[in-house]
This record gives sequence, C-alpha cells and structure tokens, in this order.
Amino acid sequence: MNNTPLVQLENVSRIYQQGKVQVAAVTEFSLDVQAGEFSVLCGPSGSGKTTILNLIGALDEPSLGRVRLEGRDLAELGRSDLARLRRDRIGFVFQSYNLNPVLTACENAEFVLALQNIPKAQRRQRVMAVLAEVGMAELAQRRPDELSGGQQQRVAIARAIVSHPAIVLADEPTANVDSATADAILDLMVRLNQEQGITFLFSTHDQRVMDRARRLIHLRDGRLEHDEVRG
Amino acid sequence: MQIVFFALRNFNRARTRTWITVGAMAFACAIMIFYASLLEGWLAGMEKNAVGMDLGELQVHATGFRADPDLYKTIVEEESVLALLGSEGFVATPRLYASGLAAAGNASSGIELRGVDLVREPQVTALNVHVWQGQWLEEQDQAGVVLGRKLARILGLTVGDEVVVVAQAADGSTANELFRVRGILKSVAEGVDRSGFFMTSATFRRMMIVPNGAHAIVVKRQVPTENLTQATARLARLLPSYEVRNWRQLQPVLARLFEMSDVSLVIMLLITYAAVGILTLNALLMSVFERIPEFGVMKALGFSPWGLFAMIVAESMLQVTVAAILALAAGLPLAMYFSHHPIDFSGFVQSSSTIAGVALDAKWYCVVTVHSVLLPVLFLYLVAGLAILYPALKAAMLKPLAAIYHR
Repeated sequence: MNNTPLVQLENVSRIYQQGKVQVAAVTEFSLDVQAGEFSVLCGPSGSGKTTILNLIGALDEPSLGRVRLEGRDLAELGRSDLARLRRDRIGFVFQSYNLNPVLTACENAEFVLALQNIPKAQRRQRVMAVLAEVGMAELAQRRPDELSGGQQQRVAIARAIVSHPAIVLADEPTANVDSATADAILDLMVRLNQEQGITFLFSTHDQRVMDRARRLIHLRDGRLEHDEVRG
Repeated sequence: MQIVFFALRNFNRARTRTWITVGAMAFACAIMIFYASLLEGWLAGMEKNAVGMDLGELQVHATGFRADPDLYKTIVEEESVLALLGSEGFVATPRLYASGLAAAGNASSGIELRGVDLVREPQVTALNVHVWQGQWLEEQDQAGVVLGRKLARILGLTVGDEVVVVAQAADGSTANELFRVRGILKSVAEGVDRSGFFMTSATFRRMMIVPNGAHAIVVKRQVPTENLTQATARLARLLPSYEVRNWRQLQPVLARLFEMSDVSLVIMLLITYAAVGILTLNALLMSVFERIPEFGVMKALGFSPWGLFAMIVAESMLQVTVAAILALAAGLPLAMYFSHHPIDFSGFVQSSSTIAGVALDAKWYCVVTVHSVLLPVLFLYLVAGLAILYPALKAAMLKPLAAIYHR
C-alpha cells in the first residue's frame, strides 16, 4: 500500500515583497494531507490560509521549502507541466465563483474536461451527471449572470469535481452566499467526500465549515498553531 | 477546437468595441482593395499606351540602329525575318523610320516619319483604333497621314488640312511632298505625340526611296503569359545578327516605374494599416486587460500559456476574417463598378501629361486582379497579427495567482 501523503509541505515559507518591506505570509510550515480527508485551514484574516492553498494548488511558489503533490515536487515542474497538473489533479472552488461569463453552466462545468480533450459526447454525459449531483441539471443552459450566488457556487463545485481530481481546494467557498445556501453547499461537499472519496481542503473562518471538518488546521501569523483531528 | 469555440464565444462579448474594430479594419481593407485595383488599372493603362500603341513587347533592329538611327541601317531580309518569327509563334510588323521637317502655314516642326504596314500593324499594336480625330491610314489614300496630338497642335493642323514634308531621301535627293491630315491620334507617348508622322509603308518607301528592308520589326508574343525575358532570349537566339530588345529594355525608366508600383502599394498599405493597427492594438489591449482575472482562472484550471496565447490570436484572427469578408463584400463591387465606369480626371490632368514619356490617360479604370484583392487582405492579417502579439504574449506570460487577484 502506498503511504505517500497526497499533499506534503516541508518547512514552507512564503515571503512577499511589498515595496521595501518583506512580509512573511507563511513561515516554516509543514503539513501532510492524506487522500480522502475533509480538512480545513482555519484562522483569522492574514494567518496564511489562502497562501497555503495557493501553494498546494501550484498557483504560487514557496520562497523556501518544498511542496509535493502525489509525491511530485512542484518546484521541478515547468509552466506547462504545472498547467497540466492543475488541469488533471486539482479542483478549485473560489470565493467569488469565477465562472466564465460567456459560457453556460454546462460549458463552465465541462471546461476542464474540454481542456483534457475528452470527446464531447462523453464529457457532456459526465457533466450532466455531476450537475445533477449538485442540483443544477435544470439550469445547465443558463449563463452565470442568470444564476444566483449559490447556484454559481454549485456550478463551480461541479467544475472542480467533474474531472475526478486528486484534491479539491476551496477558498472561503461560503463567504459570498447566504446561510441556507452555505449549508446546502457544505452538505453537498460532505456527501461528495463520503460517497466518492474526494479529498477536500478548505480555507475558511466560517464556523459552519469548521463544524463539518474532520481535521482542523489552526493557523496564526503564518505558522501552524494547532492540528486537530476529529474522530 | 476549444480555442476556436472560445474565440467565437468571446467575439460578441464587447459588441460595440468589436464591431468598431472590425468596421475600421473592413473600411481600410475595402479602400485598399479599391486603391490597389485603381493602381493596377492606371499601370495597365500606361502599359497599354506604351507597349500596346508604340513600343510593342519586343523590337528587332539592325545592329547599331538603336545607338545611331540611320536611314541606311535596315533589316534587309525583312520578309524572311517576318516569316521566321511567324513560324516561331510570334506576331510581328515592320516599321520604317526617318527624320524630316513638316510645315503648315507659318508653323514648322521636326518630325519622325513612320511608315507602317497597315495589315500587320493592327495585329501588334492598337494604334489604328487610337485615333482622336479623323481616321486611321488607308492603302488607297496615299496622301493621307496621321499625326501625333501635340504635333498637330504645334502645326495648327486639323483633319483635312494640308501639310508639307521635307526630308533627305535614301538616294541623297530631297524628298518633298504635300500630304493631307487624315487623322490625329490620342495621346500615346511623348515622342509619338510630339513628332509622330504616320504614313503607309508604301508611301514611305516611294518618298524616301527605300524600296525594301525595315528599320524595326515590332513583335508581340502569341502567348501573353510567356515570360518576357525568356521570350527575348528566344528571339535573340533566333536572330543572332540583329539587336533584340524587350520593352523593359527599351524603356527602362518606365519598367522601373512599374516595378516601383508594388513598393508604392506596400507603402500605402503600411500607412493605412498603421492607423488600423493602432486601433486594433488598443482594442485588443483593452480586451486583454479587462479579462486578466478571467485568464488567471483559466490558467488556474489548467489552460496552458500557449493555449491562452492561441485563443487570443484566434479571437483577433476571427475579427480580421469578418473584417476581410466585409471588405471584400464592399471593396470588390466598388472596384468592379469602376472597372466599367472610369473616374474622369480630365479636369485635373492635362491631355498631354506624361510619366516617363508615356501619356497619362485622364480616365482611370480599376483593374481587379488576384494581386489587387489578395495583397490588402493579406496585409490586414499581417498587421493584425503583429498588433496582437504583445497582448497575447502578455496574457500567456501572466502568473495565474497575480492574474486572479488583478484589479
């Protein structure tokens, strides 16, 4: 059995240059995430949650330390390889949905499959199944500006999971939706984790998300404060 | 395929801006199709006047005649040369030249007497249908002559007037004869307009005592598509004891002018399209900058840098293609219309205006060719392609994270 963690961060630091001042967003942070986890990075604003998600998602590079996904050191990959890695192995759910405004819900959801050159009939079948899963099949032909915030986030979740990624990274997924919608979205993600074994890693300070997590990784000032695994 | 799909979806995104850009490109391209066709027509008119009325495509002379035109330097075996040329697929006509003096009333002017073969000349040039006033020569009318337009004006002659010619005949005697003006030519070329004095070859031979031979044989290719340089070399091999020159060698200034016409067209294209290029660049830059966060998300989801580059280029090329279709739809009928209805510059161009010694026709026709249509369209693609490089490269090089949070 392969015991390699899905995600490994080894003594990772991320330092930003703001004018003449250096700001450490993350300092000497280490973390392992196993496949199938439903984990939350939590902490106050500026604690480094989003920075860590960006580093794991190959959207940012650490100033020091190493980030590995499925055992592959991201620092050794070129731009195109990183693009392929994001396409095939990572799903993203953004705080502000970030759907393409000229595409329908269905087309947005199949975006990644199209990049993977999956035949149209096959990807349409998969996308419709996933849209049904997230309760959006009826609105598949609507464009983002015809959908509510919660509906857009459901489409974003469908886009993130349709290609069966190794991990879904969700940055404050409930921040822009009302309570009822937030609960519905979180229930959906819990179900996807439990039924399909999809690994989720959140960044949030929303208590509702933290209540559902099986692991809470508490951050403060860019450092690990407390790693809490629930039963 | 995805790239084309995205390009199609994004085409109508900023509708007003897209259609203003497409409209500007289409307008410039349509104007350039019209201009290029007009230039082709202008050059064709010049070539028709120079080659089709006077020079012919090729000329054969006795050795030394071109350097020193002399009444005695003739192609003696004229008929056998003509027969040989005919058997090799050339169409040819003999010409006779001499210098003289024409006088009418108190006016006089130096002239170039030209004896032409009335049967063969129309097969090589169109002088016989280029008559402005009166009629072309006729064998039965031995006293009738046709004059260049300027010469007629200098001598104050109109159709039906009498004119006296004095020259030195080949036997040394004074050739002195009274003619009647049968016709006056339209503008052909400076030399013909100013001193051309046309008569039948029979009249020339009798007056100038030149019973046989010819001073020049003017030749036309039977197959117009045959390369002129190759045809010249072929003719030179056939007639090694004569001087063979094509019209480009006979009129190098005119040939250079024709060669330069492509350069002038390219310069005009560059000037016109520079403005379009700036407009296109501006529109594309706006389109790229306002979508930077979206590009960031696309890259985050796995769109490759070169995929994004290709998508932006495809969007631009789609706009150019629509512009090219509109330009062809507008420019081609415009050029076709003016190929049948000339623009008349009579009010601006003097009837005697010349360029490189060749008369300018005051009526300009468009001539629609593959060259005149394709060149503006290809240049449009080239300019738009150059304009899109910077924004497309900029988008390709964006870092996803910085792009997503770009404001």
